[in-house]
Amino acid sequence: MGKYDHFMQRPLSRREMLGICKGGFGALAFTSLFGGLSLGCSRSATTTSSSGLYVGPHYMPRAKNIIFLYMDGGVSQVDSFDPKPRLAKEHGEDPKQKFKVDATQFDNVGKILKSPWEFNQYGECGMPVSELFPHIATCVDDIALIRSMTSNFPEHTNANYFLHTGSGIQGRPSMGSWMTYGLGSENKNIPGYVVLDGGLIPPGGLDNFKNGFLPASYQASVLRAGAEPIANIKPQENITALQEKKLGFIKNIDNSLIGKMGQVDAVESAISNYELAYQMQSSIPELTEFSAESKATKKLYGMDSDDPHTRGYAAQCLLARRLVERGVRFIELTCPKVEADRWDQHSNLIEGHERNAHAVDQPIAGLLKDLKSRGLLEETLVVWTGEFGRTPFAQGTNGRDHNPSAFSMWMAGAGIKGGTIFGKTDEYGYRVIENEVTIHDLHATIMHLLGIDHERLTFRFGGRDMRLTDVHGHVMKDVLA
Amino acid sequence: MEWTIVLNNGFLENPPDVLKFLGRFHPMVVHLPIGFLLMAGISQLATRWPKFYTLKPYTPYLWALGAWSAFFSVVFGYLLSLSGDYDTDTLFWHQWSGIALLALSTGCYLLFKSQFRLSAYITWVPVVLVVVLLMYTGHLGGNLTHGSTYLLEYAPNTLRNVAGLPPKKEPRKKVAVIDSADIFLDLVVPIMERKCVSCHNEGKRKGDLLLTSHNHILAGGESNETVLPGNPEGSELFRRITLPETHDDFMPSEGKPPLSDEEVEIIGFWIQAGALPNGYVTELPANDAILPTVIHYLGLDRNTVFNKIPPVPNAADIDSLQNKGFLMNRLMEDKHFYEANFSLSGRSFKPSDAQMLIALKEQLVWLNLANAAVKDVHLEKIGQLENLVRLDLRGNPITDVGIAHLLTLKNLESLNLFGTQVSDGVFELLPQFPKLKTVYLWQTPTNDSLALQFQKAHKNITIVYEREGF
Repeated sequence: MGKYDHFMQRPLSRREMLGICKGGFGALAFTSLFGGLSLGCSRSATTTSSSGLYVGPHYMPRAKNIIFLYMDGGVSQVDSFDPKPRLAKEHGEDPKQKFKVDATQFDNVGKILKSPWEFNQYGECGMPVSELFPHIATCVDDIALIRSMTSNFPEHTNANYFLHTGSGIQGRPSMGSWMTYGLGSENKNIPGYVVLDGGLIPPGGLDNFKNGFLPASYQASVLRAGAEPIANIKPQENITALQEKKLGFIKNIDNSLIGKMGQVDAVESAISNYELAYQMQSSIPELTEFSAESKATKKLYGMDSDDPHTRGYAAQCLLARRLVERGVRFIELTCPKVEADRWDQHSNLIEGHERNAHAVDQPIAGLLKDLKSRGLLEETLVVWTGEFGRTPFAQGTNGRDHNPSAFSMWMAGAGIKGGTIFGKTDEYGYRVIENEVTIHDLHATIMHLLGIDHERLTFRFGGRDMRLTDVHGHVMKDVLA
Repeated sequence: MEWTIVLNNGFLENPPDVLKFLGRFHPMVVHLPIGFLLMAGISQLATRWPKFYTLKPYTPYLWALGAWSAFFSVVFGYLLSLSGDYDTDTLFWHQWSGIALLALSTGCYLLFKSQFRLSAYITWVPVVLVVVLLMYTGHLGGNLTHGSTYLLEYAPNTLRNVAGLPPKKEPRKKVAVIDSADIFLDLVVPIMERKCVSCHNEGKRKGDLLLTSHNHILAGGESNETVLPGNPEGSELFRRITLPETHDDFMPSEGKPPLSDEEVEIIGFWIQAGALPNGYVTELPANDAILPTVIHYLGLDRNTVFNKIPPVPNAADIDSLQNKGFLMNRLMEDKHFYEANFSLSGRSFKPSDAQMLIALKEQLVWLNLANAAVKDVHLEKIGQLENLVRLDLRGNPITDVGIAHLLTLKNLESLNLFGTQVSDGVFELLPQFPKLKTVYLWQTPTNDSLALQFQKAHKNITIVYEREGF
């Protein structure tokens, strides 16, 4: 095939071959291994026992599923979860007289800008939360807040790739792909990695959710909000048998191609994706049908809100719970498209942040409470984060620029020590001064909670064993229960 | 003249920082003469054989390298001794044997550089002396840094006898129940050994403080208020471990790993309770607050199920469960513990399914039977899955009668009864699960006020009986 051979899925190594063939039922094991792989999203323990290759958690998992609440654009930490009284004292003064100011994206450094929102303490733990999130504030005893996040990139696209794939350059597998690759999915009729599109696809586009060099079955499936979450989910054929015949024909052709080319990931994944898509014709309409949900539940999420964006995000949060109930491994929610920009308030901080916060606050709090009362929060990890933070000084007069040197995020649910605050920023909330947590550390911690050792979940590509955390990452033990 | 001024100004008592800084390079630089001088000695020996004749012209350079690096080691070592709190006796011998080594290696250099020929046997005297002295000096240096017991800590007892050391201490038996946890021997001593003793030992004695035994701890060091029994706030030791990490007086110093919050709490309690040399935690006064910390610190809250080693399950048993719609997930790599998830099967649970699960009763720790039409009678069999830690029965038509069948589950930590038909009788049953931590009772016929009452009476079980609204 030529010089690009090394970009193909690697063949079995000698060791694996021996592992598979030992015990004298090699041929049998072979079929079951490839059978398992071609199913892609349904790697499960059977593959383990008969092939001798171990697939599954390395150690006792705390979480089975992840709900990743992505706050597109970068929430301002000093206006949400990291109160800084000093900003009020020095409001309007020149930040360059106070501390070293890094280059900002728009190079339009204004005066120190106090938070327009009051902070109050909530819960038994007394965690301070700003007026932006009155509903999430009622959940703080289940939340571990990390105030010392940093990113390597001050610009959305790279920062998004970094947050989603562990690398600032596009093309690497997304964390959801890594986790479904490591653990498989429990539901054969719904993809293991689902992105619920709230209206905004993050800068960087769908590359944030791609499988990269992992087999194509592990890429995210994006479900849109609204009546038809997936394009063409309704069969065009009037008769089921006709569609089945067509699909059978395609599968035959694909299989004969595999017969000629050997085990090629692209073809195998195409086959499994066809199979999955066929199942999704019935599973997705059932998933998005909310008639069985009580009025109280819909109200809890905010589906009766006056704000259409709250209603939209509420539906996505409810959908996330329903996906967890159906054993979907990794669910990411993107932000709704409010009348202001995403959380990226370079100007009009008050209006923009209030609109964005109003859209997501109640649905998220509703999701946490609903999961908790059903016992699902015990096995579900909820992660809330943007790609970076914002500056404690103004951009122009009433905005804030990007700040990768400090931002806040939180986690709740499985294995998390609720009510903890970890890490510390300086008195302006500009830089981390204690317990810095990198994106790699976040990835390592999420994987740890799923029972995966981030140093051992690898995939051979381009000549080396690749990891989500590359050569970095430390588990944040302090926030674990 | 200038020297006397410098000395009279207390130069030695209070050396400038830059010299102390250079002194800290001593532990690195000392490795150079060790390598060079050994190499010089070996080369010198090797040149006796014809094969290595060619080495001969180079040996003087090796001796020179050894001598120069010895020189720097001596200088840096002296600077280090100005700032360090080292055992003076050992330090004296280390210092002078180091200086002697410098002199001898310089001598070797001069001797082997010159064409002057001594008889072969006499040549060996300085070489052997250098090597012996090198070992001796290095050993003393090691004792200074790591403490004199470091080298032989894990040596066989016969060797320890020869060296005049007592036999190795038998490690204390791991605490298995909280009643047998000794405040000093099982908690304070291990904390000290892990975090403090590397600097406060017989060899190093930072701040003239020894933390190797109860007597020494109470005797104190430069401060004689190191530990004031009954008064943690007044105790210097407690003050120092609770300062902000950036404070100059913070202990452990020099970026060594600080005590965890739990460790600080335990030390504080020990001092408060009288800084006793032994005594069971459960018998000490006012131990309510500290007990949960101790239980967690000693890992006593971890479920002992996971210490078991379940046998490899029969592949046929797993396959037949999978064929019935169970998702069988192995939960860890090194042991055969399994989760069985029936909630996505779309089938109703049958007695035959329960029978199949029993075949895996040693392996199953998580079982999810949510929304599967499980009935009370089925739970008789489920009660035999003795290793279950998590049981999810949400959305099934089961009642208190069924829960009574589960009382044999001694390891159960989480029981999900959301949306079932259990009623107030369940509050009689729940305390009989010894390991139970969380129970979900929302949307059951149970009475909320009874649930609240139960919650107040049983702090170790969390009851989730409602869904908070806004």
